[in-house]
Amino acid sequence: MEAIYQFINQQLLMPMSAMMFPADLQAEGLYLMQTSLKVMAILSPVLFTVAYFTYAERKIIGFIQGRIGPNRVGFFGFKLWGLGQPIADAVKLIVKEIVIPSGANKTLFVIAPIVSLAPSLAAWAVVPFDDTKVLADINAGLLYILALTSLAVYGVIIAGWASNSKYAFLGAIRSAAQIVAYEIAMGFALVGVLVAAGSLNLGDIVMAQSGSVFHWFWLPLLPLFLIYFISGVAETNRAPFDVAEGESEIVAGFHVEYGGMAFSVFFMAEYANMVLISVLSAIMFLGGWLSPLQGILPESVLSSEVIGSLIGPGLHWLLIKTSIFMFFFLWLRATFPRYRYDQIMRLGWKVFIPITIVWLVVVSALVVAGVPPWFD
Amino acid sequence: MIQKVKNYISSLFLWELIKGLNLTFRYMFKRKVTVQYPEEKTPQSHRFRGLHALRRYPNGEERCIACKLCEAVCPAVAITIESEPRDDGSRRTTRYDIDLTKCIFCGFCEESCPVDSIVETRIFEYHGEKRGDLLMTKSRLLEIGELAEKQIAEDRALDALYR
Amino acid sequence: MSVVMSEDQITIEVDGKELSARKGQMIIEVTDANDIYIPRFCYHNKLSIAANCRMCLVEVEKAPKALPACATPVMEGMKIKTQSKAAVEAQKAIMEFLLINHPLDCPICDQGGECELQDLAMGYGQDVSRYQEKKRVVKDKNIGPLIQTDLTRCIHCTRCVRFGEEVAGLREMGATGRGENMTIGTYIEKSVDSEMSGNIIDLCPVGALTSKPFRYSARTWELIQRDTIAPHDCVGSNMHAHIKIDRLKRVVPANNEAINEVWLSDRDRFSYEGIYSDDRLTTPMIKKNGEWQEVDWDVALTEVKNKLANILSSQTAESFGVIASPSSTLEELYLLQKICRALGSNNIDSRLRQSDLSDQDDAPVFPWLGMPIEYMETLNSALLIGSNIRKEQPILNHRLRKAALRGCQVSAINMIDYAFNYDLANKLVVSPNHMLDECLGVLKALVDETGASVPQSITDKLAGITVSESHKAIAESLNDVENSAVFFGLGANSHQASSQLRTIAGLIASISNSKLGYLSEGANSTGAWLSGAVPHRLVGGQKNATPGKSIAEMLDAGLNAYFILNTEPELDYWNGADAQTALSNAEMVVAMTPYISDAMKDYADVLLPIAVFAETSGSYMNVAGELQSTNGVSAPVGEARPAWKVLRVLGNYFDLDGFDYVTSTDVLAEALTAIGDITPDNDKHWAETFSDNTQSSGIACIKDVPMNSVDAICRRSKPLQATSDIADGKLHVNSSTAASLGLTQDGMANVEQDDNAIQLTVLFDERVPDNSVYLHSANAATNSINASLGSVKVSKV
Repeated sequence: MEAIYQFINQQLLMPMSAMMFPADLQAEGLYLMQTSLKVMAILSPVLFTVAYFTYAERKIIGFIQGRIGPNRVGFFGFKLWGLGQPIADAVKLIVKEIVIPSGANKTLFVIAPIVSLAPSLAAWAVVPFDDTKVLADINAGLLYILALTSLAVYGVIIAGWASNSKYAFLGAIRSAAQIVAYEIAMGFALVGVLVAAGSLNLGDIVMAQSGSVFHWFWLPLLPLFLIYFISGVAETNRAPFDVAEGESEIVAGFHVEYGGMAFSVFFMAEYANMVLISVLSAIMFLGGWLSPLQGILPESVLSSEVIGSLIGPGLHWLLIKTSIFMFFFLWLRATFPRYRYDQIMRLGWKVFIPITIVWLVVVSALVVAGVPPWFD
Repeated sequence: MIQKVKNYISSLFLWELIKGLNLTFRYMFKRKVTVQYPEEKTPQSHRFRGLHALRRYPNGEERCIACKLCEAVCPAVAITIESEPRDDGSRRTTRYDIDLTKCIFCGFCEESCPVDSIVETRIFEYHGEKRGDLLMTKSRLLEIGELAEKQIAEDRALDALYR
Repeated sequence: MSVVMSEDQITIEVDGKELSARKGQMIIEVTDANDIYIPRFCYHNKLSIAANCRMCLVEVEKAPKALPACATPVMEGMKIKTQSKAAVEAQKAIMEFLLINHPLDCPICDQGGECELQDLAMGYGQDVSRYQEKKRVVKDKNIGPLIQTDLTRCIHCTRCVRFGEEVAGLREMGATGRGENMTIGTYIEKSVDSEMSGNIIDLCPVGALTSKPFRYSARTWELIQRDTIAPHDCVGSNMHAHIKIDRLKRVVPANNEAINEVWLSDRDRFSYEGIYSDDRLTTPMIKKNGEWQEVDWDVALTEVKNKLANILSSQTAESFGVIASPSSTLEELYLLQKICRALGSNNIDSRLRQSDLSDQDDAPVFPWLGMPIEYMETLNSALLIGSNIRKEQPILNHRLRKAALRGCQVSAINMIDYAFNYDLANKLVVSPNHMLDECLGVLKALVDETGASVPQSITDKLAGITVSESHKAIAESLNDVENSAVFFGLGANSHQASSQLRTIAGLIASISNSKLGYLSEGANSTGAWLSGAVPHRLVGGQKNATPGKSIAEMLDAGLNAYFILNTEPELDYWNGADAQTALSNAEMVVAMTPYISDAMKDYADVLLPIAVFAETSGSYMNVAGELQSTNGVSAPVGEARPAWKVLRVLGNYFDLDGFDYVTSTDVLAEALTAIGDITPDNDKHWAETFSDNTQSSGIACIKDVPMNSVDAICRRSKPLQATSDIADGKLHVNSSTAASLGLTQDGMANVEQDDNAIQLTVLFDERVPDNSVYLHSANAATNSINASLGSVKVSKV
C-alpha cells in the first residue's frame, strides 16, 4: 500500500504539479492533488458500496421473504445472480427526465438532493480506516460528524418545501420533528463515547478501545450503543422509522415530486448515510479496525508478517464490522412494520433521552472511579 | 406483579424484537418459492380463466345464439352484443365485443352461456400495443376459439363431471 | 263481461284479509284491485274469461278442489287462500303441465326477460323435468310482416284468439285440433290484416307471437322505457318507447283508459321503423348553383335569413308562405306562426287534405270530436259521414265498436264501401257526386219527421231530393235517441264540397239532437288551429282581421318564398302535383324536414334536418281537446335538431323579439297563455247559406290516404309498407264500371283530368261505387289526379 502510494506520488503527482502550478505554489499544488486523489480513493469505494448496497438490500429482503431478488441483469450475457442490476438502475435513472413541478421553487428543488447527499459524503473525511489512514486527522472529529449528520435533514426539509406539494410538505415536517428528537439521543450517545474515550478524535477513540473484544465500548456503553444505532436508523429515515416517506400514508413523502437523477441522488444519500452510520458505529462501539482476536492470541501472532495481516488489526476488520451493521439495517427493514408517528416521538423523547442521560451519569461515575478493565 | 416485572424486563431487553429478528433470519435460509416465469410455469387448472374465445360446433356453425346473457351478467360491462336474424332466420350476433381493458376475468360469461359458446381459455400470455388491440371483436374471438378448440374441449370434458 | 254486475257489496276473505267486493265479480278481479297477485296466463281484464290455462287456481274454503280465480264469482263470506299449500301445489302442477311442451329456447326467444311463463316458472317451476317423451313441435306460420310466430312456444291461452273476436272484430286467429294436437293459427294461409293486430304481441304471455321488425335486435333488459305520444292520428295514443343506447327499438302501448286503454294501432306501433330510414336527412343542406352541399347549421340558417330578408325587402311580406304539417307539435306550430306573423305574413296553413275552405270563417274554434273519447262507448246511435274510421282512427273505431256491440246503431255514408268490424245499421256507398244528395236525403227525412225548419237555401235544395228507405232509417236511428252523434270524417273533410257537407251534417246533428263530431287530419289539427297555424285564425282561435292565404291560394298566387315544416307537400297535400310545380317555381323554399326526397331536392333550396316525433319534446292536442306533452325519447339522428329549437334559433337570426325560450315547456307555457281558456263548441258552426253546388257528371274520382301511408314516417317504415294498407298507385274500379269502360284486371288505363294524363294499372275493387274510380293519395304516381278537380276521363290503353 505504502509503496503504491509513494509510486503514484512521485511518478504521477509530482511531475503533474510541476507542470500545472507556478514554482512558488508547488507545495500547495501537490497537496491539493494528493488530497483530491485521497478523496477519490475514499469516495469511489463508498459510492460503489452504495450501489451494491441497494442490490444487497433487494437480495437479502428477497431471501427473508422467500424470494430470490434480482437475478436477471448480468454482464456479457451471463446473469451472474443479477449483479448488473445496480448498473442498469443507474443508467435508467440517469436517462430519465427530471420533471420540475410548475409550482415548485426551482432553485431549492434542484439544490435539495445535493444538500442531502453532500454531508453524508463529507463526513468520510474524518473516518479512520487504520491507525494511520485518515484523510483529516482532526481532534474535533466527533464534533464534525455530529455537525454533518445533523445537516442532512436540511435536504429533506428543503425538498419538501420546494416541491410545493402537500404530501412532500407533510413528509418534510415529519422528518424535521423526527430528526430533532433523535439527534439529541444520538448526541448524548456520542457524549458517552467521548467521556469514555476522553477524546474527540476518532482515531483516539478506536485506540482507547484496544485490549480485547470486551474492551470495546459496546460493553460499558451497551445502552448507548443500542440507542446510537437505533437513532441512526431513525436519522436515516429507514424502516421502521420511515414515516417521512411513508408510501402507504403520504405516497413518498418529501421526494414525491422527484424523479430520475434527482430522485436517485436522494436515494444515494439515504444509502450513503446508512453506510456512514454503520462505519461510525463500528468505530465507536466495536473498536474500528481493531482485531477481535486481540487479547486472545498473543500480540506477536497478531503483528506477525503473514498471519498478522489477516487476523491482526486492519482495514478488513473495519469493513467486516461495518458490513454487520449494514446487514442490520436491512434485517430490521425486513422484520419490523413501520412505527406509528406518535410512537416514534414517544420513543425518542421519553425513552431514549432519559436512558442516555442516566447512562451518561453512570459512565461518568465509572470513568471517575476508574473502573477496570475499561477505565483503569 | 411478577408478570409486570417480567414484561418490563422483556421490553427493556427488546425481547420481542429479537424474536422477530430471529424469525426473519431463519427465513433467509428457507427454500425460495419464486417461479422463474418464462422458463418455469405453475401448473394450470382446467378451470383457468384466461383469454376469451367463441367456439363453433364441430360442423363449423358458430355456437353463439345472441341470447345476451353474458352481456347482462358481466359485472364490468365489458361485453357488447348486437344481434339480428341471419339470412336463414336464426338468431345471430352481428357484433360481439369484449373489452379486455374492462374485463375482470370473473368467468360469469362462461357460466351464463347456455351453449358453451363464450369460454375462457388457458391463454394468458397476450398483449396489445395499441388500446384497440385489447378490444376483442367477434372475428378475433372466433379465431382464438379455432386455435384453442382442442384444449377448450378437453377442459370442458374434464369439468363436465362437476356440473 | 257478460256477467251482470250487481252493485251489492259483499265481504270476502283473501289470505286472512277482509276485502269488500261487488257481487258477481270474479275472484281475480277483486284480488287485482287489492294488489294481491294470483298468477295467470289466459286471464286479461280487457278480454272475456276463458279459464283454460288453470294457472290461477286458488284454494276456496269448502270447495273440494282448487278453483280458477278468473272464473269463480265471489260470494258472501267466501274464504280464499292464494298462498296455501293446496293452492301453490295446484299451480305448480299446472306449471309442470304447461312446461311439458314448452321448448327450453329462452336464450333465443325474444320474449325472454319479459315472459310471463318465464317469470312464473321461476316461482312455480321445477328444476328438472319429469317428462321424458318427445316435445310437441308446431310449424311456424307466416302471418304477415308485423308479427312473428313461434307456435311451438304456444301455451294455448287463447288470448290472441279472443282478441281477434272481441277487440279486432276479425276472427283471424283460431285454435284447430284438440288436446296435444291443438294449434293456434290463421285457419287458412293468410296474413293477419287487422289494423290493431300488433296488440296480440303484447297479449301473448309467451314468445309465440313476437314483433317481427324488432326480432332479435335487443333484449328487454337493455331497453329503457320512456313515454311518448303517437303522432299519426288525431287520438294521441299513449305509448312506451323502448330505447337502446339512444335508439328507438320498439313501441308498446301505455295504459290510458281515457284514450287508448291498453291498445295501440299497428300504425302507431310500427311507424318507429321509419325513423332510421336511409333517406333520413342528417345534416343541413343548401343548394348552391343547383348543387346540394352539406353545411353546418350556422351556414344554413344564415342562408335562410339572407335569402328571405332579400325577398322581403324587395317584395311584400305577403310573398312569403308557410306550409306546416298538422302532425307537428303545438310548440312547433306556435313558433312557426309566430315567426311567420312577425315577418309580416299571414300565409300559414296546415290543412293539407282539405280542398273546400269556403266556410272557414264559420268553422268552430278547432275541429272537435264533440265529446270525450270515452264517451263514444256510450253512444246509442251514430252516423259516419265520409269516414273510414276503422283505418283512420283505429282507437276511436274500437270505442265505437264497443258501443255497436252494446247495441249502438252505426250508420255510414261513404264513397268507398269500407270494411267495418261491426255490423252497420245502415250503409250508403255512393260516388262523390252523390254524396251531397245522400246527406240531403237524410236531412229531408229528418225534416219530414220532425218538421224542423232549415235555412231557405237548403229548403230549396231539399225540394229536389227523394227520400229513400235508408235515409229514413238513418234519420230514425238518430232522431230523439239519447247519446247520438254525427261524425264528420276525413273523407267528407277532403270532399270537393266539404263546406256544404258540413252544413248538412251540422243540421242533421242539430235537428236530431245529436252531437256533431269532427275526425281531424294529422295528430295535432287541434293544436294547429289553436296555435294559429291556419291563415284565418290567430292564436287561441281568434278571427284574423286580415286573413292570409290558404295553401291553394298560396300556390295559385305563386309566392316567392315558402317554409315547409315536417311534410312532403307533393304527397301530403291534396293537390300534390300543383304543389310541386308551384314550389319549384318559387325563388326560395326552406324545408324543415326529417327526410330528404328527390322531389324535395328538386324544389327546395335549403334543407334543415329536424327531429321526428320521438326525438323532440312537445305537445299534441288530440281531437277531444286533450293536451298531452312528451319528452324526446331517443337521440336525433345525425345533426338533426328538434324543430322547436330550430325555429327558436331562426327567430334569433331574424332578430325577432320573444325568442328566448330555454325549453319547449317555456314555449308551451307561452302558447297556452296566449290560447287561454277554450270551450270547444261545434254547435251552429257551419255556413248558414248554402251556395249552389253544381255537381259534375261523368266518372268521379275518389281519393283517400291508406292508413299506413299517412305521413312521411309511416311511408318509410318498411314493415308498415309491407302491409296491404298502403298507397298502391293503382286505379281501383269496380268490375261493372270497368266493363263499361273496357278495362281489364291488371291492364293499363289512361286517366285524364284537365290537362293531366297518367297511366295506371287497373285493379278491380268492388268497394268502389259505380261510375267512380278510386285512387290512393300519398303516392307520386297519382298526385296529379285529384278528387276535388271534377270528373276524370278513363280509357283503356
